[in-house]
Parts: sequence; C-alpha cells; structure tokens
Amino acid sequence: MKRRVSVVVLALMVAAACVIVRLPGASYSAQDREVISSGATAHYWAGTDDVGRDRGVRVAVAVLLGLGGAAAAAAVTTAIAAGVGALAAFSAPAIASVLMLASDLFLSLPWLFLLMMVRSFLPLTTSPMHSAVVTFTILAALGWPACARAVYRGTLNLRSSEWMIQGRASGLRPAQLLRRHVLPHLLPLLVPQFLICVPAFIVAEANLGTLGLGIAQPLPSWGAMLQELDNSASLATSHWVYLPVIVLVMVLLLLESLTAEV
Amino acid sequence: MRLELRHITPLVTILFGLTAACQAPKSPNELAWAIRYDPKTFDPAKVDEQASEEVRFLTGGVLIRLNRKTQQPEPELAASWSVSPDGRMISFHLRSGLRFSDGSPLTSKDVVWSLRRVLDPATAAPVADEFLAPQEVKVEAPDALTVKVHLPKRVIGVENVFDEIAIEPADRPSEGKVTSGPFIVADYKRGQYVQLGRNANYWRRDAVGAQLPYLTGIRLDVLNNREREISSFQRGEYDLIDGLPPDYFGLLQKKNPSAVLDLGASLNTEEMWFNQAPNAPLPDYERAWFQNRAFRVAVSQAIHRADLARIAYDGHATPAYGFVSPANRAWHNDGLRFPHEDVGASSQLLAGAGFHKNESSLIDAGGHAVKFSILTNAGNAARMKIATLIQQDLAALGMQVTVVALDFPALIERLMHKQDYEACLLGLSNVEPDPNTQMNVWLSSSPNHQWNPSEKTPATPWEAQIDKLMQEQGSTLLQKNRKLAFDQVQQIVADQQPFIYLVYPNTLYALSPNLVGVQPSIFQPGLIWNIANVRRQGTK
Repeated sequence: MKRRVSVVVLALMVAAACVIVRLPGASYSAQDREVISSGATAHYWAGTDDVGRDRGVRVAVAVLLGLGGAAAAAAVTTAIAAGVGALAAFSAPAIASVLMLASDLFLSLPWLFLLMMVRSFLPLTTSPMHSAVVTFTILAALGWPACARAVYRGTLNLRSSEWMIQGRASGLRPAQLLRRHVLPHLLPLLVPQFLICVPAFIVAEANLGTLGLGIAQPLPSWGAMLQELDNSASLATSHWVYLPVIVLVMVLLLLESLTAEV
Repeated sequence: MRLELRHITPLVTILFGLTAACQAPKSPNELAWAIRYDPKTFDPAKVDEQASEEVRFLTGGVLIRLNRKTQQPEPELAASWSVSPDGRMISFHLRSGLRFSDGSPLTSKDVVWSLRRVLDPATAAPVADEFLAPQEVKVEAPDALTVKVHLPKRVIGVENVFDEIAIEPADRPSEGKVTSGPFIVADYKRGQYVQLGRNANYWRRDAVGAQLPYLTGIRLDVLNNREREISSFQRGEYDLIDGLPPDYFGLLQKKNPSAVLDLGASLNTEEMWFNQAPNAPLPDYERAWFQNRAFRVAVSQAIHRADLARIAYDGHATPAYGFVSPANRAWHNDGLRFPHEDVGASSQLLAGAGFHKNESSLIDAGGHAVKFSILTNAGNAARMKIATLIQQDLAALGMQVTVVALDFPALIERLMHKQDYEACLLGLSNVEPDPNTQMNVWLSSSPNHQWNPSEKTPATPWEAQIDKLMQEQGSTLLQKNRKLAFDQVQQIVADQQPFIYLVYPNTLYALSPNLVGVQPSIFQPGLIWNIANVRRQGTK
C-alpha cells in the first residue's frame, strides 16, 4: 500500500517536472540579469538563482536528469552485477575467485579520488550533456561490485538447488537453464539492488556536484544547486533557496520507501 | 516521559561552558582575528607567504615603514636616512636609546648583523633578491648610531625594501621572541593560534607621551573556514576580517552598517585569456582564432563587465579594461583607449576576420564551429558566476563556451606544464603598486607570461615592444620616463587584449566598530599597518 502511494507521488512529481520544463518560455539556462536571487515573483513562481535563472525550471530539470540518469546507471550497474555474479557462480572455482577478487579490488578503490581524476582527464570541451552522461557512466562502472557479490552468493545457492539439478539432468542447455530457472529466481535479488542503487547514485552525483565536479554548467544538477546553500549569505536572500534540497529529500525518501517494502 | 526544560538548562550551560573554554581567554585590550593557515616560519628573514608576513609585520622592528595611507616611507627605527645622488649608497641614522623587547640595547651592530644575514645566500631570504645583486651589497657601521649600505647598482624604490627587513639582536636570532617591533611572539600552538604579547620596550610613544602599542596582545587564530570566521566576527570574538568575500558584505552590513568597509577597487584583477602557445596541444584552427587580435577584441567587447561586477560581486567590484587598477594612482594610465562594450561592433569585427553565423553558431573561415572551454578553479563562487555570465554573453556571438572548474593542482598542471587548455579565467593579486613587481607577467621570456609562457624570442612585434618598454621603465632613473614607458605597455595590452581584463574586485574589510585608530588602506596589510596606534574604545 505504502509502496503504491510512493510510486504515485513519484510519478506525479515526474509528470509535474515534465510539464514545467515544457511550459512556453521555460529555460534552465537563460539569465534574467535584472532579477537576481529573488523569491517568488509573478514571472518566476520559485524565484531565480544567483545569476538570474528560473529556479523552478532548474529544479524540474534536475529532477528529470537526476532520476533518469540514476535509473539508467542503476540498470547498467545491476546488469553488470548480474552478469559477473552469474558467470562466477557457473564457472570453475578459479575463475570465480578471480572475478570476486576483481570486484573486491573495485570496492577498495578510493572512488572519489578516482572520479576527480577522471573528471580532470576529460576533454575540456565536453558539453554539459556529455558531462552528465560521463558522470552517470562512471557511477555505473563503479557501483556494480557490491551487488555482484550478492548475486554470486544467490546464484551459488540456486546452482545447487534440487530443481536446477533436475533441470540439468533433464538435458536443459545452460542458456535455457539461465532463462527458465536462474533469471526468474534472481529477480527478487536484482530488483532491490536496482532500487537501492537509484537513490545512492542520486546522492553520489549531488556530492560530486557540490565539489564542482560532475555535471557541467549551465545544465542544472542537484550538486550544482546544493552548492548555493553552502554560504550563509545566500541563505538569507530568500526561503526559496531551500527548494532544491527539499525536493531532493522528497525524491530520496520516496525512493527509499520503495526499497524498504520489496 | 517528558524531558523538562529544567533538566536541559544545566546541560546547555555545560555545553556553552565547554565551547567558551576552547577559545583562549581574551583580555579587554587584546585583539583577535583569523589567519588562514599556520605561518611557515617565525624567522623574519625567511618569510615568503602571507601568514608569516603578517606575523613579521606585527613583531618585526624595521628601519623604514611604508605608510600604507600616503604610500610614503616614514622613519621607524631609523630617525632619518639619506640616499646618495647616484642611488648607490644609503645611510641610516638610528634613534638613540632603542631597546629590544628583552631590554638589551639596539645599536648599529644589530642592524648590520640583521642586514648581512638577509643578504647572505645561506639564509636564502626571499627579500634579498630585491637588491638585484645581494652578494655585492656592503653594509658597515661607522658608529653606534649610523649604518651605511653600499649597492652595486641603483635599485628603484630601495627604501621600500627596508620595510620588509626586521632588525634582530646580533647573533641571537629568536624567531620573533625578542623583537624591536610593537609585539613579540609569546605562544604558538600549531593548527590553533599564534599569541602575540606586547613589547614593553617598543620605542614609539603617542602624542601625550604614552608608551605604544596600546594593545596588550593579539591572538591570531589559524582558521580556514569563512563561515566560522564570519560568525565569530558577528559574535564579537574577532575584531577584523581582511578580504571579506563580497557575498557576505551585505549580510554583515544589514546587521551593522558601521562594521564593513568597501574601499573601492583594489590593485587586484580578474581576467581571462586565450592560450596562444605554439606548442599547445590544440588544433591549428583554434590556435589561429586565439592568435587573432580581432577574435580577442571581439570577445572582450561582448562581455558585459558591469553585470559581472553587479551579479558576481554583489556590486563590490569595478569593471576593468586595463591591468593597472585606478586605485594605483601613481601608475594608472588615465588616457587609456580600450575597446568599449558593443556586441554589434564585436560581430562586425568577427565578420571582418572571416567568421560567419550559421543559425545560432559562429563558424570560422575554414568551416569550424567556434567552441571552446573556459578553465577556472573549483571552489571560487564569484569566479564561477563570472564564467557562467561570460558563457551567456559569448553565446550572443554564437560562440559555444563550456565552463570547467578543476581543483588547483589539476589546473596548474594544465596551465603551466602541459599548456592543455583553451581559455582560462583567474585572478592576479598585486601587492605592490610598482611596475617592477609585474615584470614576471609581462616579459615574454617569463614562465608566468601566461598566454604564451617562456618565449625564446618574442612571438609578435607587440610582445617585443612590451619587453623593451618594461626593461626601459626598470632601468631609467626618471619617474616621468618610467611612467611614459609603463603607460605605453598598458596601451599595447588594451589594444591587443592578450589578457581580457574583467573586474577589479573591491577591497572589502570587516572591522569591529569599537576600534580606534585604524587607518584602512587598500595596500596590504590594509587594516593593521599602524597597529601600534590601534586601541579599543574606552581603554587607554
């Protein structure tokens, strides 16, 4: 029940964001230099940021970009994890331990430092949209190992289950086994992994953005908008500066409540 | 069970008590403010960064002090001095009865020892370079109150060099514990604070004969956190803030208008430039844009500097068109002709240089869309805003600009070592008004000649001309001729726009209103240069 409410609210938020972004005259980058750091006005319902951009539209774009990017990254990361985990479970113990060693190695990387390094090696003319793609790709590429270990454990149990033995005995080929028995049984493991990754990636992007890395201006992202909050002077300009953080917390709460009930 | 208020109160009291205990106690006639990092050294001869310099300024006794208000040298430990007509001999006559903080007498012997120590290559004193050939400088003391300094060649503005040399007791260097200035280093806890105590033997007295300094001590807290610094100032724990960030100015002003000061344009500049280095890993057509004067001027003309000052600096900056700030009255070229803001003229200029507009993008003669990135350092809010504003200004010309903020080490790596960038946005701080201090930026052979560093021979005739004029102003004796040469350098830079100057950030200070005797100046250290005369209201 609670889960259904969360899904509906989240869908409504996304729909509202889509409408706001498509409103005539809506632009996330146009600077109205006569209206800087304002509260709600007749023209800007959520005010403007410190260079005169429409805060409402920027938050809406950030919602879509954050959710879309994080969901795509989470899908990729879950797929990699499923692949690596299943492969390890079904291959020789030596290969399995190499694969698990690789995922342990990934887990022990100082990922923040790595992200900073990757960001500084990117071509400087990377467009804002590309920078968003790169940011989420890196998150996806770094997010899979923890999940892969869970999948590996789960698949190992499956492998030695009686119906798998029976399947093998009745002459099913590995591909058929995988499709008919393994994947359907792994799904209850993969869906929560996916749902856990989405909010985690949103938070990771926000953290990167507050460091000035991550998604490039003028594309709005949570991180870039939260940066505005790190100085008490800008907090004093208008209560609307809290809008991005309120919406971010709402989105994360809704996403977390989805995982809690799976 | 409900927690009642009376249960909470003792807890709150304890907590407050604890936080108060963390702060070293401050007596009523003591000042406190924050320095951003630990001083690297307390040895006055080895100072090469701001925190150490501040401590030297407060503790070191000098022969001559530069008055930051009038920009004139004034006698300090030396009662008088004279420079020979050829500029190669300076003789100082010391005040009589001078003493160090430990009570021992200060004579010409101590001065000679301190000067020789600074000049000695083994000390590696950064200030020694200002004598041009420090090893050949001779120092002698004909009597207990006279010191003569012989220079191998004339040094322009040589008096100012002595403002940076602290006189210490001969053969007893003490790292600031025994000084001839207004304060001594009394205590230091790494990462926490530097405590300065009053030098009871300081030579200076006020108009009614009272011993200076008025203050009993100064506490310099090591704190690299603007938010905390500002809230401590608001609580009255700190008495001043040097270099107040512009966004906080309004906040402090709202609470107490007399606590903030905007002295107008500082000597510092914010500028952007294009990478013109021939060995930079850029496509040839891009390098051709950047080396094209018309392209640079067009970019300069399309930037709305008044918006940068108003939006990125909350109005606390002055639009800049040249590299010498109007605050530098002695050297600013008042007749400077520069390209005025005009987007129409800018488009025409680009059209004349073979660029044309295709829908919304600008295309060069070879069919390449004009796209480039502006590099800046992460973590500087004002600079990031400037970059975002310029992004939109240049979009009006059809240029697609991306803004990239990198952490400082990565930025320096690209800028200085690999030259792998297209355009860069940074600021330059100028501590001294004299053009000689800018040699490292303008000489084409210099590694800090950013748009094309370390040129073997000047790449363009105008860079050769700048080289010649800078050398000329550095070697000529007549002030008028120096000014003439330096004015021409300013004009060439305005014509060629190798650096596109954007704004002069204003000098902003926060100052506790109950301090008496502070004479704020745009020249560093602007609030404390006459610290001996500063006191708190109602104290003697």
